[in-house]
Amino acid sequence: MVVDPMIAGLGVVAIMGAAATIAGAAEDLESDVGSMSNPNSQVQLAPQMGNLHRIFNKAVSGEPVQMGTLAGIAGAVFFVLFNTLHLPVIMSIAAGAATAALWHVAFATTSHLGRTTSLAQFNQPLFMDVVVEHLGPIAGHGFIVTFCIVGISYLMTLPIVGFNHPFAVPFLAVLWGITIGAIGSSTGDIHYGGEREYQQYPFGGGIPVAIHGDIVRKAELGARNSMDVVNFCAKYGGPVTGLCFGLIVFLSFWSTVVFGAVGGVAVIALILLLLIYLNNRVEVFARTKYGPYRK
Amino acid sequence: MDPLIMIGAVTLGGVLIGGGVHFIPVGGAPAAIATATGVGTGTAMLAAGGGMTGLITAAALTGSPLWLILAAGAVGSALMLAVTMFVGNWVYVWGVGCVPCSAKVDIDPISKYPQDKYVTPGTEGHGIPTVCFVSGVIGGLLGGMGGGLAYWAVYTALIDKLPGYFPLLQAKLAIPPAAALAGIFALGLFFVNAVIASYNIGGTIEGFHDPKFKRLPRGVFACIVASLVTGLIGVLLLKGVV
Repeated sequence: MVVDPMIAGLGVVAIMGAAATIAGAAEDLESDVGSMSNPNSQVQLAPQMGNLHRIFNKAVSGEPVQMGTLAGIAGAVFFVLFNTLHLPVIMSIAAGAATAALWHVAFATTSHLGRTTSLAQFNQPLFMDVVVEHLGPIAGHGFIVTFCIVGISYLMTLPIVGFNHPFAVPFLAVLWGITIGAIGSSTGDIHYGGEREYQQYPFGGGIPVAIHGDIVRKAELGARNSMDVVNFCAKYGGPVTGLCFGLIVFLSFWSTVVFGAVGGVAVIALILLLLIYLNNRVEVFARTKYGPYRK
Repeated sequence: MDPLIMIGAVTLGGVLIGGGVHFIPVGGAPAAIATATGVGTGTAMLAAGGGMTGLITAAALTGSPLWLILAAGAVGSALMLAVTMFVGNWVYVWGVGCVPCSAKVDIDPISKYPQDKYVTPGTEGHGIPTVCFVSGVIGGLLGGMGGGLAYWAVYTALIDKLPGYFPLLQAKLAIPPAAALAGIFALGLFFVNAVIASYNIGGTIEGFHDPKFKRLPRGVFACIVASLVTGLIGVLLLKGVV
């Protein structure tokens, strides 16, 4: 049975969108449990303000750079195993993601130790149980991200109308890794920085400069750690990040597969106008629902 | 391809990237904790993220006319930034509970909504209001177009050098090294110009309505110089390919 190329293309787009959604959610949760992104500025600042804590702290590079490197490692190992040793696709992707996870664990350990050492002058202790307990979730979430990213990159190179991308899988993986890092850093991490880190203050406003560094250090039971953070952010920040990356991957390819090259560009231009309108509606909703801070 | 055309295209691409970055509303670490208006990440990182999507969509149309590659790069990059800003606003509104507003203007130049009384006391604004959103989309369009132009220039120059390469590519007998090399070149050009623009705006900017936007000519000049040098190095590299 011959499948219509557009139907095959749409099927691949659907799989890519689903994989991107899972990858996006896992990426945000990885940065929450490892405190990777910009909110980590407060984790780093807290001991300097006299607030010692048990939060994991590994932000020694930008989140996009870390994810680009991780995805690039996974993509390169996949490329070798699949093209040279001719292993099955899924097995090659899994082996690539597992190799990247090993690098990820080494990166997380050394960066956390380095970061904490730099805070020794402010009496911030290094908790070995925090290091050991957090490495599993960090590597696990990272594995899911790299598995999905390499999978998306592989699907993009398939000889189907609308795909057949000229870039090699490792390079595509690096590009998508940088993109997903930028997205996770821009969307879900605000839930961690703007809400979870300052949950002891009333909900409904930005974080004034005067309280910077006064992050939440007590949990429902005992001291708060990054497991509590990821447990909270998995309820909103993670899923919306997944939706964001899933939408970007899906719309980028759906438009080309359905409407062709020229039509696809026109459709995305229309989607851009629609997004400007929808964003304005969100802004109006917040204005009418929350009201001003002062008359 | 004439080497001068390639250098010119790379320089123009770099200027479009660097100029586009000035339009993208980024608030850095303060925005990530709802203390400043804009997207809560670094300038170079967000611009690179958008640029990578534009590069992927532009390269997907390799072999198409130049205008189509530029258009695909522009809309791909703008789509990434638009969806990211849109979803980012969801988190600001429903996750943090604040109103998207600018602290740099009293009235939004596009929506005409008042801004100052919606700013949380002690902050520099939060979220991505309409003017920032529109500015970000324009920045994405310019940046993606610049990346696409640089990619097209290097790819075309390489294909001209390797006349026997394209049939191999069509017959699926070769891993596309020309596309990969051009892509890596465009990626590097993106980072160079995004970082220069980031230095010029001092890390954060709200968009074209921000007073820092007046620094644009200086940033564009720096991008011209850096991209010109990058283009020269690119030509020297290509001369050694065959």
